[in-house]
Amino acid sequence: MIGYSIKRLGSALFVAWLALTLAFVALRWVPGDAVDATLARGGASPGEVAARRDMLGLNDPVWRQYGDYVMGLVRGDWGESLVTEQPVAEIIRQNIGATSALSGAALLIAVTLGVVLGIAASLGRWRPVRYGAEGLASLALSTPVYWTSTLAIYVFSIVLGLLPGVGGEGIRYLILPAAVLGFHTAGSIAQVTAGSIRDAMGQGFVRTARAKGLPELDVLDHVLRVGMLPVVAVVALQLGFLLSGTVITEIIFVRRGLGRVLLTAIDNRDYPVVEGLVVLSALTYSAINMLADVAYRVIDPRVRMEE
Amino acid sequence: MSAAARNPRLVVALGVLGLIALVSIGAPWIASHDPRAAAPENQLLEPSGEYLFGTDLLGRDVFSRVVYGGRRTLGVALLTAGITLAPGIAIGLAAGYAGRWLDWALMSVMDALLAFPSLLLALALVTVFGSGVVQIAFAVGIAGIPAYARVVRAAVLEARAVPYVDAARAIGARPAGILARHVVPAIATPLLSFAGVTLSWAILNSAALMFLGYGGDVAAPDWGVMLADGRESFRTGPWVAVAPGMALSLTVFAINLLGNSVAPPPANR
Repeated sequence: MIGYSIKRLGSALFVAWLALTLAFVALRWVPGDAVDATLARGGASPGEVAARRDMLGLNDPVWRQYGDYVMGLVRGDWGESLVTEQPVAEIIRQNIGATSALSGAALLIAVTLGVVLGIAASLGRWRPVRYGAEGLASLALSTPVYWTSTLAIYVFSIVLGLLPGVGGEGIRYLILPAAVLGFHTAGSIAQVTAGSIRDAMGQGFVRTARAKGLPELDVLDHVLRVGMLPVVAVVALQLGFLLSGTVITEIIFVRRGLGRVLLTAIDNRDYPVVEGLVVLSALTYSAINMLADVAYRVIDPRVRMEE
Repeated sequence: MSAAARNPRLVVALGVLGLIALVSIGAPWIASHDPRAAAPENQLLEPSGEYLFGTDLLGRDVFSRVVYGGRRTLGVALLTAGITLAPGIAIGLAAGYAGRWLDWALMSVMDALLAFPSLLLALALVTVFGSGVVQIAFAVGIAGIPAYARVVRAAVLEARAVPYVDAARAIGARPAGILARHVVPAIATPLLSFAGVTLSWAILNSAALMFLGYGGDVAAPDWGVMLADGRESFRTGPWVAVAPGMALSLTVFAINLLGNSVAPPPANR
């Protein structure tokens, strides 16, 4: 188990490093950067622009810029914004709270709603319940957040006046964006849950349990233990999608956060900021997947047996 | 029992998609107004006989824009899906069949790309490529490759483990021949079903980039662009966003339904 975890950590770090390198090469390969975009547009002379580029090390060969960047990362120096000259680590620190709150709340809603819908779609007693749950899950999958957000703001904030619409901070401002993002994410969790429970229902141990006369409630317990396993993996995967969902949600609901920072940086071609967020996203994703893999082994002894 | 009665989902899905395709192709004959013609005096009119879905902030007819928007949105999505599928299948086949170092190298790069959520990857690629419809198709299409390559590879690994592939190898068939004759037919169904998922991602993600304003032409009739317009004016004219939103959801819903009916979730046995 410990050996496995160490091996898994090694490959997670390798993937994160490869991701960072790809991002670095791709972004350096593009003509034009924030210095052109901001200074030159602001009417600075070519001499001033060249001096600024020199100072930032943008005229060094790419391999040296890469070496400097990676060494900086190792030391905890994520570089600084080409536009505001604020350290990237500080920008992330200031915005990560709002984004974590949004994706955390959305994940909570997505898992709760997704699992309930998945169970209803697979184990529901009446046909209308099963079809209704299935339909709702498909609806969630086919309505992107940039569409449901507008609808939700219109219905809950303008027509009903129940919740504040855009801007602001605090719990009341978190409910609508988290619900919209959580609803969309719940769709795939529901589908995986339903499929996995149906699979479990068809397995031999269910017949055995029924044959020896176990009460239906105990049979259900057996089924859910096995049926819920793949849900761990899909939740880990969805956490990655939530990160991109926050980009759009933050824009529509005019919230602070990393998604907004990323879009601004992309528009300004502010590479150190884009790279910092890319590294953060790759590290988070690798860490989540590693935890999910390890968790899978802890929960399901059969996976360990296979090694 | 007829095929239609046995698989009602397939019939509904094909019917809806066929209708959407017809409307998109026949847009010039179906649209009642010029989708780009602005008329400030007609700003934000409610839906009526003249303007079926109302008008937007610039007085353009929402119905005509939705009809024309299908062309652009779905055209971009098809191009996007093509950009995902061709390399995705090639990489998945190569990695799954060749195995060893090639598999390791290809899958390491795919895993590194998978470390970015697909929309973030597409956003980063749009930074590289710049704004525009084709650029969006490439950005979203490339961002979808790693997931598709992984699915293809997994299917190939399963398909090549069957005895007849060993037998073909034993009698000296060449790898390309084995792939074409034995492996590809065996994996066609899961690949087709995941191609449906890929197409719905292509629609949702390319419309997302359009929504965020990377489409270049801001006046173009496009569902993503229209949703962005609708957001500006939803306080006074919610219909501007509702029509393209419904069209988008209906399309993706039908594609998912089609995917489910071609390869039913494992449970229905």
